[in-house]
Amino acid sequence: MKNGKFLKATALVLALAAFCALAASAQAKVQLTMGSWRADDVTQMTKLLGAFNQKYPNIEVKFDPTNPPDYNAALRLQLQSGIGPDLMYARSYDTGVQLFKDGFFADVTSLPGLKKVYSDLARAPWADDKGNSFAVPFCAVSHGVYYNVDLFKKLGIAVPQTWEDFLAACKKIQDAGVTPVANGLADQWDINEVVMMNILPNFIGGAEGRLAYEAGKAKFNDAKIVAAFQAMKQLAPFCPKGFEALTYNDSNALFVNQKAAMYFDGSWTMASFTDMKFAWSVFAPPPPKGKKGFVTFHPDSGIAMNAKTKYPNECKTFLQWLYSDEAAAIVSNSIPTGFFPIASNAAKITDAHADAFLQMSKSHPTDVRFVWPKLMSGKPSGYNLLNDGVIAVMTGKQTPQAAADDLQNGLAQWYAPAK
Amino acid sequence: MNSSSKVRRESGALWLLFALPALLVYAAFMAVPVINSMRLSFFSGSGYTLDNFVGFNNYLRLFADPEISARFFKAFGNTWVFFGINMLVQNTIGLLFALILSGKGFKGKGAFRTIIFIPVTLSVLVTGYIWKLILNPQWGALNIILTKVGLGAWAMPWLGDPRFALTAITLVSSWQWVGLPTMMFLAGLERIPEELFEAAQIDGAGGWLTFARVKLPLLLPVVGIVSVLTFVGNFNAFDVVFAMEGANGPPSYATDLMGTFFYRTGIAGQHPVGIPDMGLGAAVATVTFAVLFAGVLLANRLMNGREAQGAEPMARPAAEGRLRA
Repeated sequence: MKNGKFLKATALVLALAAFCALAASAQAKVQLTMGSWRADDVTQMTKLLGAFNQKYPNIEVKFDPTNPPDYNAALRLQLQSGIGPDLMYARSYDTGVQLFKDGFFADVTSLPGLKKVYSDLARAPWADDKGNSFAVPFCAVSHGVYYNVDLFKKLGIAVPQTWEDFLAACKKIQDAGVTPVANGLADQWDINEVVMMNILPNFIGGAEGRLAYEAGKAKFNDAKIVAAFQAMKQLAPFCPKGFEALTYNDSNALFVNQKAAMYFDGSWTMASFTDMKFAWSVFAPPPPKGKKGFVTFHPDSGIAMNAKTKYPNECKTFLQWLYSDEAAAIVSNSIPTGFFPIASNAAKITDAHADAFLQMSKSHPTDVRFVWPKLMSGKPSGYNLLNDGVIAVMTGKQTPQAAADDLQNGLAQWYAPAK
Repeated sequence: MNSSSKVRRESGALWLLFALPALLVYAAFMAVPVINSMRLSFFSGSGYTLDNFVGFNNYLRLFADPEISARFFKAFGNTWVFFGINMLVQNTIGLLFALILSGKGFKGKGAFRTIIFIPVTLSVLVTGYIWKLILNPQWGALNIILTKVGLGAWAMPWLGDPRFALTAITLVSSWQWVGLPTMMFLAGLERIPEELFEAAQIDGAGGWLTFARVKLPLLLPVVGIVSVLTFVGNFNAFDVVFAMEGANGPPSYATDLMGTFFYRTGIAGQHPVGIPDMGLGAAVATVTFAVLFAGVLLANRLMNGREAQGAEPMARPAAEGRLRA
């Protein structure tokens, strides 16, 4: 009898143990989802996440991107309905800060090593005004002017060093029967983000200049801003015929098909320049004579974790791995071409074109896109005012001065330092 | 007597029973959301959580805030232009097609009817994209043809010029939907009794007089229905502008319709921040609804007035209520 009891008890203990082990292993296998606006990057991100999974076989991160223009609205809706992803791309500055303030992003300031790998400056775009980080900085993008090296050689044009040189080069190219600049207006955002905000730091004196506007020490319709609008007006006659109705993709196609010699765009476009039939390179937007040149190096994406995720520890494990020394090389080489790692331990970029782009931002002082840090959180948004102004100036509907006045008056409606 | 009235009462109750499922579905998916949207127009909040009652503040901003009201009235005006051009072009050509197709001895009626109707069956995103390519200033077919025939000066950036963009888009919409009024007018024309034409012929009426005095008056109820459907469809229009120009109604808001304005304020928000102002969006939707409601009410009254005056009430084409013109 005793023996039988003992057997029974042993069996029970064994069964319990087995059950616990099963449950434990089932619990350990975790799938996290990652939201993103980079629908083009599934291959690269799958590679990156695969490398993480090899190191942590029990945590699988599934990349689940949204159509880029819908991302902000869709993400907010998901988070509000409690079906947000565990990890997600976070926009820099205000758009990200808002989600943090509303309690959707977890505070990641205390992640071990975060402050060592990222300087305060590098963390700032994904931190609130108290310096609390809501995302691990991930990628930055750069801006420049792509050009057709073969065509420049054929026409005997050197890479322009000043804005005046640049306009002279445009004239020469146009006289040779080629469209000098591929950019158009139809999609609106591109003329604003990759042309106007690309050249703007050269006219206002980079980050220092921007801070003066943000602090209210300079008016948004001063001579420097007017000069930038004036430059956009000078650019218009060198844009393609019918540029008013040309889209971002049209511009890309004009440059790729050698119908246009130059193309203002961001570094991310490099990924679409494979199998090019001509030599191409990139130069920094040339400053007006006698002024210093800047490159717009813009913090693009951070990775945030959902404040209400069911797996906070696994999410933290992933975020820490993302900036660990051992992952640096994998991250640097598997983030898409044209995106640059922000971490101080980042490895050298192997793609020659991408490295050339990166070097540009090392040899020049950099700043972020003009309106991003402070000017987009009210109505009318500085982004829209700048965009409408640039288009109106380029189509001859407004003078550069009038466009700058609209910018100043519009911002004065809500941005206290502009009043 | 008694039993027959009982049957009538029972069949009345029965009718209600049959209508109940449809009524429930209608209430759940139409009436409740519409009323809820009206309720939301009195609230504000961050993003999708509207919990702050603000009274008529959203309407005040919509009509009086210089920034917002400028966009709203521009979109409102554009929508009327969009509707006007569609009425004029789409419905006139539709009537013309119907007259040709209903002509006696017209060969290949079935084939033409199909051809005219095919664009209706295509997605607006597809036709919008195709037309965007045709109108492209660099490699679009239209400007290439214009240049080839010596009209290079007429080759415009159609979708990038505030003077032409809205008209261009409206004509694309007319091209796509012309099949609907055509079918409805055709059905109307085919229901006119043959004797009337014979009588007109005996009286010595020619083609034009027959149209003006016989066909058109008898088609008027169909014209009314087509107008109402065009009005409703156009005031809700969004897709064709979104497909061809984007949600901002470029260039310089020249193609901004009530639909795109609503989408920007209430759903998507402004690029690049993309946080919608849902209370204001609900106010836009409510105003749109009010305009539609008033318009349809007015049209109904006009049409009923005509019928009461003794104009021949026409049997309505079967599917008309479901068609979108």
